[in-house]
Amino acid sequence: MSELRELTPGQLAWLKFRRHRLAMIAAGSLIFLYTIAIFCEFISPYTPEQRNSRAINAPPMDVRFFDAEGQFNFRPFVYDLELTINPDTWMREYEEDASTAYPIRFFTRGEPYEFWGLFEAERHLFSVDPNGPGYIHWFGTDSLGRDVFSRVLYGARVSLSIGVVGVGLTLFLGVLLGGFAGYLGGIFDSAVQRMTEVLQSIPTLPLWMALSAALPAAWSPITTYFGVTIILSLFGWTTLARQVRGRFLAMREEDFVVAARLIGANDQRVVFRHMLPSFSSHIITTATLAVPAMILGETALSFLGIGLRAPVVSWGVLLQQAQNYQVIVMTPWLLLPGAFIVVTVIAFNLLGDGLRDAADPYSSLRQQ
Amino acid sequence: MSQLLSVTDLCKSFAGESVVKSVSFELNESSTLGIVGESGSGKTTLVRSILRAIEPDSGTVRYNSREGWHDLHSLSPKELLPLRREIQMIFQDPFASLNPRMTVQTILEEPLIIHGIGDKESRKQQVAKMLEKVQLDSSSASRFPHAFSGGQRQRIGIARALILEPRLVVCDESVSALDVSVQAQILDLLASLQSELGLTYLFVAHDLRVVREFCDDVLVMYSGNVVERGSVEEIFNNPQHDYTRLLLSAIPSPDPDEKLQPLDRKSLLLDAGLTV
Repeated sequence: MSELRELTPGQLAWLKFRRHRLAMIAAGSLIFLYTIAIFCEFISPYTPEQRNSRAINAPPMDVRFFDAEGQFNFRPFVYDLELTINPDTWMREYEEDASTAYPIRFFTRGEPYEFWGLFEAERHLFSVDPNGPGYIHWFGTDSLGRDVFSRVLYGARVSLSIGVVGVGLTLFLGVLLGGFAGYLGGIFDSAVQRMTEVLQSIPTLPLWMALSAALPAAWSPITTYFGVTIILSLFGWTTLARQVRGRFLAMREEDFVVAARLIGANDQRVVFRHMLPSFSSHIITTATLAVPAMILGETALSFLGIGLRAPVVSWGVLLQQAQNYQVIVMTPWLLLPGAFIVVTVIAFNLLGDGLRDAADPYSSLRQQ
Repeated sequence: MSQLLSVTDLCKSFAGESVVKSVSFELNESSTLGIVGESGSGKTTLVRSILRAIEPDSGTVRYNSREGWHDLHSLSPKELLPLRREIQMIFQDPFASLNPRMTVQTILEEPLIIHGIGDKESRKQQVAKMLEKVQLDSSSASRFPHAFSGGQRQRIGIARALILEPRLVVCDESVSALDVSVQAQILDLLASLQSELGLTYLFVAHDLRVVREFCDDVLVMYSGNVVERGSVEEIFNNPQHDYTRLLLSAIPSPDPDEKLQPLDRKSLLLDAGLTV
């Protein structure tokens, strides 16, 4: 008889996950987004606070391979923008000037930055000739002439990490409190249960506002960042804690847990070696599905001006600029950070779905 | 033959409902005591209370370890740990009693790690030896429980219970979930391990034929009470209690032409003065 290959539960789950096409696409997009967020200083052509006084509220520029005569250029380029003031409306209007093209160069020297706040660098992935008059604003500029593309990338770092850090904290609180409640029972269980009910019954928005008001305005951006994360997780842990508690209650009587206790395993061993691993997949799924809620929470807080504040750049802070009607009509490209939020949230949800299916031993491999 | 276990006046109730009512019995070394009774008669609660998987309400469980007698329920968890080596349990459901996330190697090694026995290499050898003892292939060690059949899993459960070289093994309906041919294999295995290692079994079952085959003495339980106790011959040939007669009358005969005629439960139990 030929040797049969033995699959571990982890390998089985991975096999199933790979067949979930949407989840694979989502995973790919998220890896892409996080890579961008990690290397945002290098990838963005400008720094987030750099102003271009010649392009204020400029629309997104098209990156072209074909020039006005229809000739193909191997090196992509952008056309210069010509500013005119509309004499009737006094609005700035930008027109492409096909006579001046700025070719895009890679690994150009540009505005110096501190990579990860650690070492100085000035190379950017792409830009136009930094010594010439040209500029490239792929996503347009805002009312101060700052490059929206660069700001979206810097915002990705804050917005995407706040979701993960926040969920980490949520998981910690949820598993710890829910786990103890389910395992110990008694007074501790009742206390956690009542606390959960109170927290779940308070409308979140006013509470967020109250807590944000408690964050001192003098705090540095980084402390505010952690403050906001803690606020978000303080309300996020309740659902997870309930699930964990329920699982623990049910599993405490499970034969293999009793068996572990009978061979002499102490509480710590029973919990960490036997109980937690058997629903770790559930925890991972819940965590994945909780990340978008965190990101949306941060966006909502920042949008309302009570979360992160400029000069911190996050997607929520960026959207704050697009709060009024005028902006939406005249400079709709300022809404682009919103598109990134949508993509991220959908990707996390699809990834969570895929993980849930993969971790479920009852979903068949043959499906899909 | 010395006494190994002595249970006196053990009581346990759940939410006011009395499940085990003042049960007392003794168990001699290297013997097999069967505990029979219908479902809900308190067999499992009784043995789990003995193992301290459940805390009983009152009563004492005394165990004669290698170091002398111990009252199991007055021991702290730390003091209980060395005794856990001597008293082990084989579960009813071989599918639920093995952690699905662990390989057989990890499952069998864990008791040794907890009790600090041997180093990595010697533990591996011990696991291999144990697998051989329960007639499983040595390649089983690297597999997960889901790769095994019910009978094979029960062998893994037996291996886990025996790897600590216990003296008393509690079998809680350990063959009830298996089909008849596998049942016979597992019973044979348990019997040969008993003669090899001098084990004492506390054998919970509802199948009287299995008990007749396997046990030396029988304890008949009905709604939390021990109604009769005696050797297998006494109980099966000359039952004293009506409930025992009722149980015996419910054993189907291997002859298909012979009709099963269970006794009338109500009249019998009323005669016995037991409430239904």
